[in-house]
Amino acid sequence: MTLTWTDWQAIAVPLVLAVGAVAVLLIDSFWRSASVQLRHTVVTLLTVALILFGLVFVWAQRDDFKPAFCRPAVEGPAECSLVFEPLTAGLWAVLLIGALGVVGLSAYRLLSADVPVGEYHFLLLSALVGATVLAGARDLATVVIGLEVVSLPSFAMVALRRDRRGSEGALKAFLVSVLSTAVMLFGISYLYGVTGSLYLSTIANRLSGLDPELRRVAFAAGLFVIVGFGFKIAAVPFHGWLPDTYVGAPVEVTAFLAVVSKSAGVAGLLVLVTSGVAPSGSELRTVVAILAALTMTVGNLAALRQQEAVRLLAWSSIGQVGFLLAPLAVGDAQAVVGYLAAYVVVTVGAFGAVAVVQRHRPGGLLTDYRGMVRSEPGLAGALIFFLVVLAGLPPGLAGLFTKFAAFQAVIDAHLGWLAIVMAINVMIGLAVYLRWVAELFRLPAEDPFSVDIESPAVAMISLCAATAAVLSILPSTLFSLAI
Amino acid sequence: MSAILLGILALPILAALALWAIPASIGDRLAAMYGSVISGLVLIGSLLLWPRSEGWFAYVPSQDQLLREGSRPLQAVTDVPWIPALGVRFHVAVDSISMPLIVLTALLTFVCCLYSLKITPRIGRTRSLIALLLVIEAGVIGAFSSMDLVLFFVCFEIVLIPMWLVIDIWGDDHDPVGRKRAANTFVLMTVLGSALMLLGFLLVYRQAGTFDLVQLTNSPVLGGHGVPLAAALLIAVGLAVKVPLWPLHIWLPDAHAKAPTVGSVLLAGVLLKLGTYGLIRILVPVLPDATATMAPYLAGFATVAIIAGSLACLAQTDVKRLIAYSSVGHMGFIVLGISTLSQAGLHGALFANIAHGIITGLLFFLAGAIKDRHDTSDLRTIGRALYARLPRIGGLLTFASLASLGLPGLAGFWGEMLVLLGAYRPADSLPRTTYLVFMVIAGLGTVLTAAYFLRLVRNLCQGDPAENPASAFAVDLSRIELITWAPLITLTVLLGVWPGLLLHQWGTL
Repeated sequence: MTLTWTDWQAIAVPLVLAVGAVAVLLIDSFWRSASVQLRHTVVTLLTVALILFGLVFVWAQRDDFKPAFCRPAVEGPAECSLVFEPLTAGLWAVLLIGALGVVGLSAYRLLSADVPVGEYHFLLLSALVGATVLAGARDLATVVIGLEVVSLPSFAMVALRRDRRGSEGALKAFLVSVLSTAVMLFGISYLYGVTGSLYLSTIANRLSGLDPELRRVAFAAGLFVIVGFGFKIAAVPFHGWLPDTYVGAPVEVTAFLAVVSKSAGVAGLLVLVTSGVAPSGSELRTVVAILAALTMTVGNLAALRQQEAVRLLAWSSIGQVGFLLAPLAVGDAQAVVGYLAAYVVVTVGAFGAVAVVQRHRPGGLLTDYRGMVRSEPGLAGALIFFLVVLAGLPPGLAGLFTKFAAFQAVIDAHLGWLAIVMAINVMIGLAVYLRWVAELFRLPAEDPFSVDIESPAVAMISLCAATAAVLSILPSTLFSLAI
Repeated sequence: MSAILLGILALPILAALALWAIPASIGDRLAAMYGSVISGLVLIGSLLLWPRSEGWFAYVPSQDQLLREGSRPLQAVTDVPWIPALGVRFHVAVDSISMPLIVLTALLTFVCCLYSLKITPRIGRTRSLIALLLVIEAGVIGAFSSMDLVLFFVCFEIVLIPMWLVIDIWGDDHDPVGRKRAANTFVLMTVLGSALMLLGFLLVYRQAGTFDLVQLTNSPVLGGHGVPLAAALLIAVGLAVKVPLWPLHIWLPDAHAKAPTVGSVLLAGVLLKLGTYGLIRILVPVLPDATATMAPYLAGFATVAIIAGSLACLAQTDVKRLIAYSSVGHMGFIVLGISTLSQAGLHGALFANIAHGIITGLLFFLAGAIKDRHDTSDLRTIGRALYARLPRIGGLLTFASLASLGLPGLAGFWGEMLVLLGAYRPADSLPRTTYLVFMVIAGLGTVLTAAYFLRLVRNLCQGDPAENPASAFAVDLSRIELITWAPLITLTVLLGVWPGLLLHQWGTL
C-alpha cells in the first residue's frame, strides 16, 4: 500500500506532533550545557510552535474532506481508516487549543521543579498525537491504537513527580485503563465477528441488515465498546479512578487530563456514535443517554460536598461530561463540539487559577480563596467568570448557550426525561460553583491570598478569560467549529 | 428611538463594569452618587421612550405600525441575528405592555441608588452593591424589552447571580447562616424554574420553528393538548417560581426577610414582575389554547395563594416577612387576573403589577427604616406606639398599608377590582361557575388582607407611648428618606385617582 498525497495531508498534524515530540525529548536530554530556564523556554516555545502549526493547518483546511488510507470495498464506497472532515477539524481545534493552554500553564517557573521538562512535553505531545488520530479515526483498530496512545503517556505524566500520591493515582488510572481496553477489545472482536469488518462505515452498513439474533450480539458488542470509553471519560459508574488521580497529579497534569485526555475520549465516542456503531434509533443511544443522566447527577452531587478546589473541579468535570454525553447520545456533533470548546477554554483557565493559588498554599482548600475579590481582584474576577461559564449562567454566555444547544438537541430528539434531568442538574451544578464563588466574595478575610502572580500565568489566564469573553459575546463561533 | 433603548440597556452594564474597574477605596458616598447619576439617566431615557404620539400621555396607535388588532405597535425595534446556528436573534422592542414596567424598573433603581447615598447596609462595600443594582436593572429592562424567547431567558438569568450576591453579602448581618441559605434557596429555585421554562421554549421552537415573539404572537402555537400543553406547563411552572405562585413561593419570605432594604425593594418591586410579565407576554399569546386548558388550574392556585398568603400574614411576627407574604397574596391576584384571559382581568393584572411594584417598594423601604432604627424587624421587640415615637414614619406606614389593602382612591384598588371583574366574566372558553367561586374566595382574600394590614397598623403604630418609650437615637423621617419615597407616594395617589393614565395605554388586548 502506497501513501498518497491526501494520506500525507490527513496525517500531517499527528506526524508533525510526533516528530516534534521526539525532538523535544532529544533537546532536553542532549543540551545539558544550557541553563534550566533556557532549556525550559526553548522546549515550551517549540511545543507551542508545533501546536500552532496544527491550528493553522486545521484553520486552512477546515472545509476540506480528505479520506486517507482508503481501500476499495466489496460493497459501497471505499473504506477509509482516517478521515479529515469538518468534524475532525472542529475536534482537532478543540484538542490543540486545550493542549496549547496546558503548555502555557507549564511554562518556566509554573511547572513544579521536580517534573522533568523534556519528558513532560514529550509525553504531552505524544498523547496529543493519539488524541488527534483518535478524532480522525474511522476504523476500530485505529480507534483502539489512538486511545492507547492518548492513555499511556497520561499515566506516566501523572506519576512524573515520583511521589507517593502521584504513583497511586497513576497506578489506579493505569489499572482501570487496562481493564477498559480489555473490555473494549472484547466488544470490538464481537463487532468484527458479527459484521466482518473493522471499518466504521462498513459496520454501519451491515448492522442495519443483520438478522435479529445477531443484532442482539451486536448490541452487546456495542455496549462493551461504549463501556470501554465510559472508563476513559470517567462516565458514572466507571468514574471511581478519577478523583484520586486528579488530586495525585501535579495541577498542570490534572489540567491536561481534564482537558485533552477527556476531550479525546469524548471525540472518540462521538466518532463512534455518529459514524455508525450507534445509528439513530438504536438502543445504544439510549444507553448513552442513561449514562449521561447518571454521570451528570452523580458528578454534580458529589462535587457539592468537596472541600478542596481540585477535587471539586474533578467531580464537576464528571458532571460536565454528563452534559456532553447528552447531545452525544442523540448524535448532535455540533452541540458536542461547541460544548467541548467552551469547556476546554474555561477549564484551562480555572486550573490555571487553581495552580497559582496551590503553588503558594498547597492545602488547596476552598477556604484558601476567601476574600480574593479584594486581595487579588484580577485573578478572582477571572476565576469567577470561568466558574460562571461552567455553571452556564450570565455573564458566562458561552456556557449558557452551549448548555442551551445541548438542551435543544435533546428536545429535538424527543428525550423529554433526559431534558428534565439536565434541568435539575443545571440547578445542582450552579450550587456547586456558587459555593466557590461565595468564598471568593466573602469579606473580611483573615488571611487573604495575595501574591505576585508569575507573568506567564497572568498571560495564560487573561488569554483564557478573553477567549471566554469573546465566545460569550459571539457564541455562534462555538457552533461553527464543526459544520 | 431604538438608540435610546439600546442605550438604557448598555449604559448600566458598562457603568457597572467601570465602577468595578475603579479601586475599592472609592468612597461609599461617591459610588452611590455615581449610581444615582447613571440610573437617573436611565430613568430619563425610559421616559423619553414612553410612546406619546399626540400630546402628553395620549396614546393613539399609529396605523402603519400595526402589529395585532391595531393596538400594540412596537417601538424602538432592533432586530439582528445573534446565533444563527441556534435560531437566536437579538430582537428588542417596547410596546405599551412593557413600557410602564421599564419605567417602574428605572424609577425603583434610581430611588434605591439615591437611598444608598445616606443609608447603606452596615457591611459597607457600597461600590459593589451599586454596581450589582445597575446590572440587575439592565437585566430586568432587557427582559421587559426582549422580543425573542431566548433573549428573554438570558435576561431573566442575568439578574440571578447579582441578586444572590446582594442577599448573601449585604443581607441581615445578625444571621449569616440564614442569609446564605435564603440567597441559595432563591437562586437555586429560580434557576430550576428557568431551566424548565427553557425546555418549554424549546418545545415551542420545535413546534413553530422560531423563537421570535412577534412571529409567535401573530401565528401562535395552537392546540390545547400534547406538546403545546407540555410546553405551556413547563413555561408556567418556570414563571410561577418567579412570580411566585403558591406552592412555589417558599423561597420568597426568607429572601425578603434577609435581603437588605434596597434588595427587598428591587426583588419585590421589579423581579417578581418578570414572572407575571412572562405570563402575559409569552404564555397567553403564544400558546393560547394550551393556556385556556390550564387557566382554571392556574386560577385555582392563584386563589389559594391569595388566601394562604393572607393567612400566613396574620401569623407573622416579623415585619419584613409579613410584607413578603403579602406579596404572595398580591401576586396571586395578578395571576388570577391573567388566568381569566379576559380584557378586564388582563388590564387588572397589568395595573396591579405596577401598583404592587410601587406600593410594596414603599412598604419595604418603610420596613427597612423601622428595622434600621430598632436593629430588628421582630414586631414584638419593636414594640408599639409608632405614632408617638416616629409619627411621620408611622403615618406613612399606615398610608402604604391602606394602599396595599386596596383602599379606593389609592393605586392598589384598581388592579384588584379589575381582576375581580375579570373573574366575574372570564373569557368564553373558560368555565364561568368555577371562576365565580374563585372570585368569591378572592373577595374574601381582600377582607383578610385588610385584616392583617390593620392588625399590623394596630400592633405597630397605635398604643400607649408611655409603655413604649422612644429610643434615644430614633430620628423620625430623614430628608433622604423623604426625597426617595416622595415619587412612590405621589404615584400611589396619582394612579389611585387617575387610573386612566395607565389603562388608556393598553387599549384592547
